[in-house]
Amino acid sequence: MAKFKLFNEDANKSPLKHLWRHFKSNHSALVGLWVFLLLAILAISAPLIAPYGVNEQNAQALILPPSWDDAGQVEFILGTDGLGRDLLSRLMNGATSTFGLAILAALLTTAIGVVLGVFAGLTRGVKSSVLNHLLDITLAIPSLLLAIVIVAILGPGLMNTVWAIIFALLPQYIHSVRNLVAQELSKDYIVAQRLDGANKWQILKTGILPNIYEHIVVIFTMSLSTAVLDIAALGFLQLGAQAPTAEWGAILAENLSLIYLAPWTVALPGILLFIAILSTNLVGDGLRHALQKRRAS
Amino acid sequence: MHLLDIRNLTIELNTGDHVIRAVDKVNLSLKEGEVHALVGESGSGKSLIAKALMGVLNERWQVTADRIHWQGVDLMRLPPEKRRKLIGKEIAMIYQEPSSCLDPTAKIFEQIAESIPEQGLSGYFWQRKKQRKQRATALLHKVGIKRHTKVLDSYPHELSEGVCQKVMIAMAIARSPKLLIADEPTTALESTTRAQIFRLLKSLNQLKSMSILMISHELAELNDWTHGLHVLYCGQMVEAGPSKKVFGSPKHPYTQALIKSSPEHNVALEHKSELYALKGTIPTLQHLPIGCRLGPRCPQAQKDCVATPQANDFHGHTVACHFPLSQK
Amino acid sequence: MQPILKVQALNKQYKTRDGLFRSRFFSALENVSFCLNKGETLAVIGETGSGKSTLGRILAGAEASDRGQILLQGQIIEDDGKRIVHSKELRLIFQDPMKSLNPSLTIEKILSEILELNTQLNEQQRRDKINETLLTVGLLAEHRNYYAHMFSGGQIQRVALARAIILDPLVLILDEALSSLDPSVRAQTVNLLLSLQRKIGLSYVLITNHLSLVRHMSDSLLILDQGKAIEYGKTSELFSCAQSKQGQRLLSC
Repeated sequence: MAKFKLFNEDANKSPLKHLWRHFKSNHSALVGLWVFLLLAILAISAPLIAPYGVNEQNAQALILPPSWDDAGQVEFILGTDGLGRDLLSRLMNGATSTFGLAILAALLTTAIGVVLGVFAGLTRGVKSSVLNHLLDITLAIPSLLLAIVIVAILGPGLMNTVWAIIFALLPQYIHSVRNLVAQELSKDYIVAQRLDGANKWQILKTGILPNIYEHIVVIFTMSLSTAVLDIAALGFLQLGAQAPTAEWGAILAENLSLIYLAPWTVALPGILLFIAILSTNLVGDGLRHALQKRRAS
Repeated sequence: MHLLDIRNLTIELNTGDHVIRAVDKVNLSLKEGEVHALVGESGSGKSLIAKALMGVLNERWQVTADRIHWQGVDLMRLPPEKRRKLIGKEIAMIYQEPSSCLDPTAKIFEQIAESIPEQGLSGYFWQRKKQRKQRATALLHKVGIKRHTKVLDSYPHELSEGVCQKVMIAMAIARSPKLLIADEPTTALESTTRAQIFRLLKSLNQLKSMSILMISHELAELNDWTHGLHVLYCGQMVEAGPSKKVFGSPKHPYTQALIKSSPEHNVALEHKSELYALKGTIPTLQHLPIGCRLGPRCPQAQKDCVATPQANDFHGHTVACHFPLSQK
Repeated sequence: MQPILKVQALNKQYKTRDGLFRSRFFSALENVSFCLNKGETLAVIGETGSGKSTLGRILAGAEASDRGQILLQGQIIEDDGKRIVHSKELRLIFQDPMKSLNPSLTIEKILSEILELNTQLNEQQRRDKINETLLTVGLLAEHRNYYAHMFSGGQIQRVALARAIILDPLVLILDEALSSLDPSVRAQTVNLLLSLQRKIGLSYVLITNHLSLVRHMSDSLLILDQGKAIEYGKTSELFSCAQSKQGQRLLSC
């Protein structure tokens, strides 16, 4: 009865295209995705397109307000801070250290988390339960607290923060992936595949992964927003990125003393952080809703 | 007077892009003490009709009808609160998978006790528990469970599907409803328990003159004890009438195919010979053909079939077909 | 003639937890034996808990038995719970065809993986084989680019069948595969199964509750009750004169 379907294009789409169709119909998620992509591009190309160097000081232009203010200058669109550094350049570079590093951290977490999660899901018995119970203990500690503890051990610094965040995010990640894999393993088509003579690796590759990678992307976006927040928080607490580094949290902390004199130096990085996390969450939420809709249809 | 009288019931699904007419102008009427069956394959909308009657469809579904009369009261015009009260008192429903309809964390006694109406109990509240126990035991006896103490004291997962279905029926008849809607009550059951449930329903109908609306996809097991049969295909009522007439001389090609496709009713069928089957598959809700929805699969289809056929009445045996089969 | 499938004294026990340390053994199959000839159908009936599903899973290799042998064409393939040969001649069809197909892969990928795992065909040969199998079960070659969710109830049953017969098996095990279908789809599927049996001589082990189908399709009949085979014989004979009370009760309704 292919005839019924020949003229109906949407029926011929792969599950991935279905997902995209549902995602597209959600406008806020789409806006979130665009902002997310813009930020990602900015994170990569910031050093090239920023008008000034990160730490380039302009002694004649201290605490300049943004250019739309009467006292502002057009050379410094978003104004300057207490040391005469161009805020726009610093914020753009901040995208690299905050957003870019958060993506890096989330990607690394995904890589390690998926491997360990799949391992935990596929094994049974003592190996699996030891891994799970250890993870459950760490799950009881909030990720930021865990990150602070790890930074306390490793010492402050931007790269140490990244490691700390990876370790702090891992338990949740492994837990979610393990649940996904365990859920898949009980499905009939996995049994069918095993009866076809597939070994564990083949079951994983063609049976399980194609069904869970979208869920992994959702978990990725959730851990990404946590990572952005944690990097900024640690930077703000001066446990992460140190003073001259352009990192949004660090910029915030640095300019906190100027909050009455130059409120834009605090407000702008705050707004950027807000936008970065909002867009990530919008994408994640949109994806999750699209997955639910696809399952329902 | 009719117990239930439905005219031109239409149920539409609003998908956002367009409106799908899942049930198309269905008529159904039922007298007191009768057993009627709604027969159809998956996607025929038979469960939708029952749900629309009970008023449990969510707001994505639009229900319109010329009238849904329950003992002369139009349910469509009643405020929802009143309607729910009326239905809760007089109509009961049982479902396909009994074990998933029972609360897994409560004992059977608690669940049956909950369905026993307060009005029937007398005395102070400390006397009521005993009365409830007696009533629950009596209900279980009515549905043919003899080990009542053991069943009352167990959780649903400890009982077999057949016993669970009997418990569901016991709960349904606790308020002595006038109509029992049974939505495929036996599909999850084994053949022996299936026969038991049918016997039970039959005796409930005969002893208490309770009307029953059976919903099923097996035509074969219904014909000898139902008074009326309604055959649905893709939301259209294709044939309705007294069971003997519909079953004995089907006038619609679809009904005929349903009867001929099951080996039970063709005693002369040779071992391992081909069964009669319509070509093609049931269209999905998104791809319903226009006119008579059986059209593309119908062996008798002609040019006229692109228009929706009107129901023709042959002495209470209605057929919606342009070219009804004439047998004998 | 040598039987195609021979099962000798198959036993299976399950351990159930009873309290914290005690465990009870509950016997799902006890000394079940039967033979199946080429081109014939064996029907297995019984109530819930009679072990008929366990039997199907053991035959297909999804579970291991405790004791007993399974012989395929005179060659032992399972001996006392050890699967000696991974058998591609015994294929299982699941109760719910939709659930037995991976939703994120196209039909071609699913079928092609089965061939990759079990045969030495190259890509072109695999493609031909897939086309041929799809045509055999009454689908079109274009259907291989479809995903499972795009098929209707009757077609998905055909895909599940294609999945089972693509390796040219000798025996198909149908675990309640016909019970939950709509009557017209069931009639189509039964016709397809019967025509395959006539054409390529497939044998079926039909695990079901549907007595009229048993009567129509099967040559021999095995009735299980609490893991024991209480009746075994020709279908026509058993229907007319079953020996045990339990058997009579099962067959009468």
